[in-house]
Amino acid sequence: MTELDLYREVARIRALELLLNRYISEHGFGGFWHPGLGQEGIQAGAVAALRNDDYLFYAHRGLGYALAKGMSPVTLLADLFGKTGGSVGGKGGGTVHFVDPERGVLGQGGTVGSSFVLGAGAGISAQMLGTDRVVAIFFGDGSSARGTWHEAALTASVWKLPLVWVCENNGWAISVPIGEQSPTENIADRAAAYGVPGVIVDGQDTLAVQAAMTEAVARARAGEGPTLIEAKTLRVRGHFEGDKQSYREDVVDGLDVPRDPLKLLREQVPAEDADRLEVEAKAEAEAALEEVLAMPTGDASVITEGVWV
Amino acid sequence: MSPVTVESGEPLGYARAINAALMEEMRRDEKVWMLGQDVGKMGGVFGVTRGAFDEFGPGRVRDTTLNETFIVGAAVGAALTGTIPVAELQFADFMMIAGDEVFHKMAKWRYMHGGKLSVPMVLRLPTGVIGGVGAEHSQSLEALGMHFPGLKVVLPATPADAKGLLKTAIRDPNPVLYFEHKGMYRMKGPVPDDPDFLVPFGEAAIRREGGQMTVVATGLMVPRALEAAERLAADGIELEVIDPRTLVPLDMETIIASVEKTGRALVVHEAVRTAGPGAEIAARIQEAAFFALDAPVWRLGALDTPIPQSPDLEQLVIPSTDDIEAAARELLAL
Ligand SMILES: Cc1ncc(C[n+]2csc(CCOP(=O)(O)OP(=O)(O)O)c2C)c(N)n1
Ligand SMILES: [Mg+2]
Repeated sequence: MTELDLYREVARIRALELLLNRYISEHGFGGFWHPGLGQEGIQAGAVAALRNDDYLFYAHRGLGYALAKGMSPVTLLADLFGKTGGSVGGKGGGTVHFVDPERGVLGQGGTVGSSFVLGAGAGISAQMLGTDRVVAIFFGDGSSARGTWHEAALTASVWKLPLVWVCENNGWAISVPIGEQSPTENIADRAAAYGVPGVIVDGQDTLAVQAAMTEAVARARAGEGPTLIEAKTLRVRGHFEGDKQSYREDVVDGLDVPRDPLKLLREQVPAEDADRLEVEAKAEAEAALEEVLAMPTGDASVITEGVWV
Repeated sequence: MSPVTVESGEPLGYARAINAALMEEMRRDEKVWMLGQDVGKMGGVFGVTRGAFDEFGPGRVRDTTLNETFIVGAAVGAALTGTIPVAELQFADFMMIAGDEVFHKMAKWRYMHGGKLSVPMVLRLPTGVIGGVGAEHSQSLEALGMHFPGLKVVLPATPADAKGLLKTAIRDPNPVLYFEHKGMYRMKGPVPDDPDFLVPFGEAAIRREGGQMTVVATGLMVPRALEAAERLAADGIELEVIDPRTLVPLDMETIIASVEKTGRALVVHEAVRTAGPGAEIAARIQEAAFFALDAPVWRLGALDTPIPQSPDLEQLVIPSTDDIEAAARELLAL
């Protein structure tokens, strides 16, 4: 993806993040919204290296992953607000689920770290069916503690499954800082134990994320197995919108993103293009929210749908 | 015509019948594959997958390491993406290690994603007592499957059903918990060799016809209930023995029709009595057929204790043929 295309994606995600921040601070939210403000560059940069038919298991922090994979902001916001126009028919909300089989968006679990094992399974299908699809699995530093990662990583590496694990290390798992969760500074150091490359990248540098991801995807597609990418970033907001963060000394005041990925990327593109894309992104986000707020929520008939085939 | 289910075919062991179902389905559809610990060259710790590795190779018969969350979770992910995995856990008890994968991912991924995805997979779960394998290798946990909407729950009690239900499970677009009784692996019975022999889900089998009491039994309790019925028949007492075969979906229609005829019901299973499948079945019988009942609905199940390690003691924990016979006589006298 060109710098300009990437800028468009980061700007689109940012516009939605800011709009949601404003809307939720005014109206509240029925569930937990985990803002991804400041982590847009990782989400857009990594997804940019995927093909449309590659698989995506996203994490809970924001909606940038699915937007970058091509899902419409109307669908995503509808899922967020539990509206019928969403992809999960009013069953999202809370830890928000989106799905789009046509674009390889395969969902997430309500329990973080679910996707390590499921993503490995999608890689087995790709391997068995002889497609060269790759599976991207996003997770946070806190989720890297899950046993599911260890169980999946061992076998995925032995079987050379076409996976890329993208760790968004934002320094926090709710209230516990990374230094109290991990004996090593870098999550990527663990890659050696699984016999896979562990790559550390600046998560605010969208182009660097894209470059690392492109290499990892090529490796996976070539049948050489998984790669772990650790993108270093910072959790700008609370764990969920409304979290007072009493446990935290380095609270970011307001919505200013330190080492803002959008501003860093802006240096790479013509100013007038950047301005135009930002205006477009804002308009897209606002129109989407307006459309979604006017949608009905599901009636009781949806409750019993989709339990069994 | 008698409604009793008649099975035909050459005699085959229960484990061999499961093996035949696996081999036939893997030949029929190359998207079907297996994974689990030691399922490859060894053919599984109980020998159930023997021959599959040689015929289908390591790409479709995958030996994993000791990673139950991976075995179940990867099966879910593969099922979402176009293949049909049959995962084996060495013991049904190990479901608990992969609890999140079994009861959340398998059961709910489709629902949580608006019905846009499906999870066509089978989880094979060797269940029940087998002689001395103790509290964490002997449990009957099928009621757990009934408690998580989204799963189907299968419990074959004959070699023919072991084959026909597994084939149906593999062809079903839903995730299926397939509880195979490891104490019955060597039991022989007629098994059809028709490659399209399927036993439908949600259709109970009437194993024996009788007018005086309905006995609903599952798994290993089916042959025991039939033996007890044989003994009572010598005294002119006729029990009707019904094997639900699948607990989800559950064929209450057949059970209720029987209870309306007999007026008495005894539910027998190997799972612990408290909150076992029998609690649900007994409750549904009294809801639907209260006025047809001449006596309370009784349940027989394992004692509310863990399974002891000793093979002699473990048999004292689960219902025996004697226990079933005694309970039936007592219930008839009420
Ligand atoms: C298995 C499981 N344990 C705990 C939780 C509750 N929980 C939700 S998000 C979260 C923190 C995750 O931290 P991290 O992976 O670093 O992601 P971040 O929130 O920082 O983006 C926790 C503990 C959960 N959803 N699932
Ligand atoms: Mg974190």
